Amino acid sequence: MSMQIPTLETRRLVLRGPEPEDYPDFKATFTSYRARFMGGPLNAYEAWMLYAAEIGHWQIRGYGMWMIHDKASGDTFGMAGGWKPAKWPEAEIAWVIWPDRGGKGYALEATHAVRGYLYDQLGWETAVSYIDPKNLDSIRLAERLGAAKDHDAATIDGNDAVYRHPAPAEIMGSQLAHGIEMEISHYADPLFKPKGWAID
Amino acid sequence: MTLIKTPTLETDRLILRGPKASDAEAFMAFYATERSQFTGGPMTPRQAWNFFGTEIGHWAIHGFGMFIVTRKGSDAPLGIVGHWYPWGWPEKEVGWVLFEAASEGQGIAFEAAKACVDHAWRVLKWPTIVSYIAHGNDASVALAKRLGALLDEEAVQPKPETPGYVYRHPRPEGLA
Repeated sequence: MSMQIPTLETRRLVLRGPEPEDYPDFKATFTSYRARFMGGPLNAYEAWMLYAAEIGHWQIRGYGMWMIHDKASGDTFGMAGGWKPAKWPEAEIAWVIWPDRGGKGYALEATHAVRGYLYDQLGWETAVSYIDPKNLDSIRLAERLGAAKDHDAATIDGNDAVYRHPAPAEIMGSQLAHGIEMEISHYADPLFKPKGWAID
Repeated sequence: MTLIKTPTLETDRLILRGPKASDAEAFMAFYATERSQFTGGPMTPRQAWNFFGTEIGHWAIHGFGMFIVTRKGSDAPLGIVGHWYPWGWPEKEVGWVLFEAASEGQGIAFEAAKACVDHAWRVLKWPTIVSYIAHGNDASVALAKRLGALLDEEAVQPKPETPGYVYRHPRPEGLA
């Protein structure tokens, strides 16, 4: 078996396939309280098994979760990508940012790039994100990405809310896309002050 | 990143190859049954699917892992046998599972496990090899003995809260 995981570059980030040397950062988050909305906290054995499964997901589905790296330092900030384990009603766009890396717009920048890849390169026509209703940060991010709660869509187990992302045609060249780019620009260069927020 | 290539092992009757997406169904079916009680099961389909992903990721992380066992001339997955070293395992293990009872009693697990023990000595150059076997798994104890492995009561347990047997494989004479 052999497959190549594509590398995605954004303004501040490089997204690569998860490598063995990135595991300690993953383990730190998934054995912590941060993982409470993602099936955790896990013990060290469970975290390793899940990390290996994240890599295996790529081989099985042909897509998966990228590791988000800082372009400048190479440090990891979290993960974002496509996720569809067994019994998932639909393919999901998912993300996690390490607890000490939040608030910088990395999830927005990474997830925007990932969604573009899944739509443009893999031909996804729609995507959802399954979010714990108590996970306010992720709900907020879903909304900044233009996703809206889909009350009719099947949930994983009834304990999650389904946020449906805008379709590819709704993003391409849209005010939404410009708003996301503008927000990322603001994070990347705090001196850049857009006049008002396109989405808020 | 490239998920590394897996080698193929050949025995008299079998081909041992890397796991692929189409094997997931057989793997999940096994983990839905009581047959899996000695190897971490039974588990839900979702858990089993993730575990199958783990089997593949193990290859990417370590460069070795578990092979899918097939008969020559058929690609159908009969079981999963090979090299296993998840987080927290005290030592590297050769493990084996046959998915269906119908595949037992033909020496398939023995033939596959023997090839993997040999591969561990000669190619992976492991200094020592164990097999962790749950209490009550008489069929696997019998197979370990047939492979020449001996119970090592001093060995560290992989899961001290649920201790099992640790069988240690004898190093072949004349191995460089």
